[in-house]
Amino acid sequence: MDCEKFDRIVLDLLYDELDELTGAAARRHMEHCTRCRGIGSGLRATREVGVLPLLDAPEGLERKILEAEQRATQLLPFGKRLGRGLSLLAGYAMRPQLSMAALLMLMIGSSLFFLRAQPGDREHVLVTERGVPESDNESVTAVVPKKASPVEAAPEAARAAGRSAPRLDDALARRDRAPEAKADRPMNLQQEPAPAPVATAEARGAGLPGLGADDDKLEEGNADIASDSDASYDAAMSAYRDGRYSEAQRRFGEIANQAGEHAANAALYEVQALRMVSGCPSAAPRFEDVHTRYPGAVGNSAAWQAADCYRSLGELARARQNYDELATDPNYKARASEAIAELDQRAADQESAARKGAGAGAAAKAKPAAASAPAKPAAPAGQ
Amino acid sequence: MAAVQGDATDEMLMVRYQRGERAAFAELVRRHSRPIYNFVLRQLRVPSVAEDVTQDVFMRLVQNAAEFKHEARFLTWLYTIARNLCIDQLRKSAHRRHASLDQPIADNPDGQALIESISDPNPQTSAERSALSSEVRSSIVKAVDSLPDDQREVFLLREVANLPFRDIAEITGVGENTVKSRMRYALDRLKDALCDFEEYARALR
Repeated sequence: MDCEKFDRIVLDLLYDELDELTGAAARRHMEHCTRCRGIGSGLRATREVGVLPLLDAPEGLERKILEAEQRATQLLPFGKRLGRGLSLLAGYAMRPQLSMAALLMLMIGSSLFFLRAQPGDREHVLVTERGVPESDNESVTAVVPKKASPVEAAPEAARAAGRSAPRLDDALARRDRAPEAKADRPMNLQQEPAPAPVATAEARGAGLPGLGADDDKLEEGNADIASDSDASYDAAMSAYRDGRYSEAQRRFGEIANQAGEHAANAALYEVQALRMVSGCPSAAPRFEDVHTRYPGAVGNSAAWQAADCYRSLGELARARQNYDELATDPNYKARASEAIAELDQRAADQESAARKGAGAGAAAKAKPAAASAPAKPAAPAGQ
Repeated sequence: MAAVQGDATDEMLMVRYQRGERAAFAELVRRHSRPIYNFVLRQLRVPSVAEDVTQDVFMRLVQNAAEFKHEARFLTWLYTIARNLCIDQLRKSAHRRHASLDQPIADNPDGQALIESISDPNPQTSAERSALSSEVRSSIVKAVDSLPDDQREVFLLREVANLPFRDIAEITGVGENTVKSRMRYALDRLKDALCDFEEYARALR
């Protein structure tokens, strides 16, 4: 440290405002520098001796100030009081804890907002059990797999029809469109779902067998059903549509036993529900029973579904018997003929395969036999 | 009124007063009324005016309490108020002559001179004051009173208010080096006034 720097910091040294390192350096400089030592000593002595005497404040000054403060506080204008209150609130609001809490609430709020937001119009898009968007009734009908087996397809078709055409009069209105579809659509017994009565109108529109166009009687009955507000029938239908087949079976059974105007359809629904619950082995004889009890459209539909069950059970002879019977009905004639032809084809294929298998088996059997035959001993050379 | 701890800082007391604790304000008055009164008295030289101005200083504090920020330094704020009020008062009385230290105080019915009241206000209250002769005290007061206004202001803020040079620079609105320079001149003048006294010679040893 030199004298010039000492002059700059001497007051800081005098009032102890220097950091420890600089203060020590200044004191070391004073030890070696007479001039600076004299300056420092003079200032220190001046400060020690030249203490300015302080007067006591006049008596009562503090009291006066406090009284004046009390008056001023009482008379503080509203604006000032409001400002003081705001200052107080701001003092609390500026605390870091409150800031963090506010930030946390903001994050939670924004998270909830983004989580709740869903794209698209949710009111018009439903999702079926298969995860297929159900935007309208037609699309649901379209999602029924055509290649499903009769056993699987029937409930799906019934469910889909139940959801899409809950009222038969709606379905009947579509009947006008049926001829085109009926004409364009080839009969395929493997692909066609079972002609469920629940989908009566849909089945008609799609040209499904069982509820053919000739059955004016059934149509009238259906119209009656559509217009009838029979609670029990609706309840049974609702249970069926909702997939509660046991309950539907029980309810339809009760209705069928009452022998009312819905008895025929209820009997058919009852058996269909039974098929959903127990499968074709139990349902097939019951279909036959309905066929026997309710001749006409319902009976024919039951016969068709019975034949379907027989096919799925492999009882082709009994299935053929039903188809033969249905072929006499003009409404089922074409479809029943196709079904019969298909059964014939299948039988022919099976026979052919069996023959081939038998021939191949015989050939294979002959070759080992030849191979295993002992070689004929050569004639002796001398003979 | 809630009790106020003696070790609470001025800033803490001020924040408490902002929240409505009047006891905190009473503690602030108790701590600072005397130094403020002396600072104002040395500036204005008239005790009655100094008393009124001291009261005004604290009233300004009350009125502007909401504006005080807790991170600000209370003493700097308080002495800024006091200095501004002193300047206002000096402007008001600029046309009047300052009372001489040797003149009888107008407010004092006994006709006591200001220098006498300063020299011997209460001999038992200050040890260092009692250690000095009345002649030395008079010389000190005269020397301070004769300082130019800017030097006296810095000297008082440093010695009476015990403010660091940085805060004095903030209050007076000049640079820190300027403040130190003014203080150095003030001390040199005080040294000149004291160098003939025995007490000063003893302090030099």
